[in-house]
Amino acid sequence: MEQDKLADAILVLSCQKRDEPAFRELVNRWQPRLYYYVRRIVEDENAVWDVLQETWLAVYQKIRKLEDPRKFPAWLYKISHNKAVSLLRREGKYVQMAEEQMADCFENNGTIGIAEEQAELAHKLLGKLKLAHREILTLYFLEGFSIREMAGILEVSEGTVKSRLHYAKHKIREALKGANGVWIQK
Amino acid sequence: MSGSRSREEFVKNLVAQDPPLADEQVRHNEDLFKQIKRRACLQKAVIIAIYMAVYLVAFGAFMLRKYTDNVVHSVCWGTVSLHILLWSLVYLLRGLSMQMEGIIAKTFGSDARRRYKSQNLFVTVVAIVLFVFSSFILCRSFLLTDPLQAVEKGVGILWAIMVFLIIYSFSTAGLIAKLWLEHEKMQLYISTSKSNNSENQDNDAAKMRTV
Repeated sequence: MEQDKLADAILVLSCQKRDEPAFRELVNRWQPRLYYYVRRIVEDENAVWDVLQETWLAVYQKIRKLEDPRKFPAWLYKISHNKAVSLLRREGKYVQMAEEQMADCFENNGTIGIAEEQAELAHKLLGKLKLAHREILTLYFLEGFSIREMAGILEVSEGTVKSRLHYAKHKIREALKGANGVWIQK
Repeated sequence: MSGSRSREEFVKNLVAQDPPLADEQVRHNEDLFKQIKRRACLQKAVIIAIYMAVYLVAFGAFMLRKYTDNVVHSVCWGTVSLHILLWSLVYLLRGLSMQMEGIIAKTFGSDARRRYKSQNLFVTVVAIVLFVFSSFILCRSFLLTDPLQAVEKGVGILWAIMVFLIIYSFSTAGLIAKLWLEHEKMQLYISTSKSNNSENQDNDAAKMRTV
């Protein structure tokens, strides 16, 4: 994991020097995960590819401005989130969640642990959640971002992230009751 | 450690639930890289166009003042043409150098590439400094000062550019040629050593048969 992060940081530094093979490598490394994430926001597959292309073009243009290469994953997801949301807005499909509860009323130290063979189940459960909850849980599953990082990616307050995460975990807890390989701590 | 590994496995399995089609991915990636190249070329073209426009407007404004006699006219045209020639030459040679860097990196490794880059960098930096400096002085002369002063500066810049053109083009072209020869020599050496190896193997096999 640490080696991967280091390799990513080196690739980012090379990309900042406009090294084309490094950029290709970076795209190949991140494309599957990014595809999975964007697919959870945008349903149409062609639209997903459009979002991905716009994301990578933006990455190529702005990567020199990224000061800390270690923050590349959060920065990448933020760009793709913005591109996906603006596409949904253009198509009139984006619905902002109106009733965001403040997070302070939740205890958010519960963790969801899912055994590696239960990925299929997690994937199905993600499909049953609302967009905002699905997106936040996808970020949580894929990268294990902190609350602050997720707030930065989604451009919402940390309280909102906590609240959405709490709700999503609650939904998952209900759905996973009794499933093998799943453990939930409160 | 095992926790992070199982997490990695989980992410891999999760992503595998809805993976992009391999063909689609390749096609879209190729599209993406083409677009990136196109955009980079377009950006450069826009920068050159803006520069040329500013430069030519300044020059045009100077010529329209009609203070100029034939000598002034020809000196100014000469300076502008040579200036544009320098600009194009720097770009052309820079492009060639970058191609060469790619070939060098493939054949001699990244160390040789770095060495070549540092040799070439000095000449390029001097070219850019001269180019920016002469642009500034010329634009200023065309727009602000009287024609005689413009001619005086123009003649100085004309000589500087001519001298530099000769040095820059010969040194860069010489460097490229030298490296190209080295590259060819290396290719020849590789192919000779390969054929020698196969000959040796054939000889060994023949000896074995004789024994």
